[in-house]
Amino acid sequence: MKILVIVRQTPDTEAKIQANSSGNGIQTDDIKWILNPFDEFAVEEAVQIKEKTGAEVVVLTVGAERSVDAIRTSLAMGGDSGVHIKDDSFADMDSFALGKVIGSKIKSLGDIDLILAGKKWIDEESSQVPIQVAEELDIPQATLATKVEVDEGSKTVKVTSVIEGGEEIRELKLPAVVTVEQGINEPRYASLPGIMKAKKKPCEEVGVDGINSDEIGIAADALGSAGSRVKTDNIEIPTISRSLKVLEGNDVQQASAELAKLLREEAKII
Amino acid sequence: MSEIWVLVDKAQDTVRNVTYEVLSAASKLKEKNGATVCAVYVGDNSGAIEADLGKYGAEKFYKIENPALKDFNPSLYAAALSEVIKKHNPDIVLGGNTLQNQDFLPRVASRTAAGLCLDAIDVDMSSSSTLQVKRYKYSGKSIATISFHDVKPMIATVRLNAFKPTEGSASAEVVSESVDLPSDENYKVIETKIIPKERPELTEADKIVSGGRGMANGENFKVVYDLADSLGAGAGASRAAVDSGWVPYEMQVGQTGKVVSPNLYVAVGISGSVQHYAGMGSSKVIVAINKDPDAPIFQKCDYGICGDLFDVLPALTDEIKKLG
Repeated sequence: MKILVIVRQTPDTEAKIQANSSGNGIQTDDIKWILNPFDEFAVEEAVQIKEKTGAEVVVLTVGAERSVDAIRTSLAMGGDSGVHIKDDSFADMDSFALGKVIGSKIKSLGDIDLILAGKKWIDEESSQVPIQVAEELDIPQATLATKVEVDEGSKTVKVTSVIEGGEEIRELKLPAVVTVEQGINEPRYASLPGIMKAKKKPCEEVGVDGINSDEIGIAADALGSAGSRVKTDNIEIPTISRSLKVLEGNDVQQASAELAKLLREEAKII
Repeated sequence: MSEIWVLVDKAQDTVRNVTYEVLSAASKLKEKNGATVCAVYVGDNSGAIEADLGKYGAEKFYKIENPALKDFNPSLYAAALSEVIKKHNPDIVLGGNTLQNQDFLPRVASRTAAGLCLDAIDVDMSSSSTLQVKRYKYSGKSIATISFHDVKPMIATVRLNAFKPTEGSASAEVVSESVDLPSDENYKVIETKIIPKERPELTEADKIVSGGRGMANGENFKVVYDLADSLGAGAGASRAAVDSGWVPYEMQVGQTGKVVSPNLYVAVGISGSVQHYAGMGSSKVIVAINKDPDAPIFQKCDYGICGDLFDVLPALTDEIKKLG
């Protein structure tokens, strides 16, 4: 059994986000990059399945040179090998183009049984890429999993998913795409020996010539932003303008009455 | 005549309010491109809802009904909608940013070679033919303006509460579409459990009260719940409270939890980290209750009380109840 985890490198959650000089991206100079926090749950889930079944875990990312660190972190947690799609032609792809490129690479890997991913990328606020990969591969998907049970015998996966107002249990034929909800497990910290070992694990670098663009029905020069359907025009940092009316809490009764009154009469919110 | 489609979201027999919000977004676009606003239902049985849809601006109502669409299945829903999209070539397809739409519209986008933007907070036309949306990136830390290339259809979901429903006077002409769907052996629903919730879902709540590190333990959250219940609010928490194991992760608000934008957000014993603010900074009114006068949250709130939350919360709950 072979599991592939799609991961993303994102700015640290504490990072201050500022627009760059062209206005349609962010300043990256002082940013600390991390493995997307939601992807940690997907990597952990894959490694737990590996521990139970002996599965092989492949970690795939698309991104600049630095993104290899997200793969290395995942390998230090227990992944076996990496695939890093990193040609400049792939910069600024939208989810449509990413779905095609990632889907095409997974097809060429051939024998993937289960594709796992985090529920959302915290940079793009995007949850759609794993689903678009599922569509490209014409395989089923279940999102927001709180439980994943693989049955190798019947080649199925039973997934408990969060739905509006409750949860739903679904059974998917493998291969399938599953995105996992935060809290499905407790992601392990990469140990020092794990980090040392990760440096020696294989990581395939894939350039534009490594993607079979005929198969996905688009010209090689239409991979990347030219094959995208949307583009970011502008990034704006919202300014905080709040009224900052802070009351002294020495007399709790009075302060509470005053706050309730402000919320009713001034903010008109209650 | 070009068309803007709005996906209908239904709960049992009634149309959910989010549908009317998205019809309102579609009407805004119609002013720019003159397109016909059409409601589109995908499911097993729409019921007689055309009058309601018409009242909120739908001029046409496509019903895509098939018994195979009884249980939600992302592949089949995508197949059904994509087939009808290919037949009628709408310019724009909009839906509420519901879990179901987030689940199957990405498949529709790939099937129809469409652009897709989820969770728009505003929509506009950058020209007569291209859709432009505003949406958050990096949680609440930035707002991106995103343009679609002129490739139809252009697909977007709209954040709940981002638009107010507007009543129109159109009547919706009903068009029934039949679709052939293969049986799907790859995806089976085993069980659907509706879990009754004591309080509103955070992502839909109009008001939220959240507790942070200052709560000190899980039992103390009772004062948060009491205030939330007096307001009819949802109950949330900061990452510090969740990581300490005091409350479940479903309650986490922040960049690595839920991103919310209620009308009222009450932060109790929460210092106001960048991480937390990224998840609730777009709330209309923010109230902070904290005993530390130097807590960053006091620089990011509309109202606040600097005092011990265990004194303030019961008193505030009483005052809210008095107002009725």
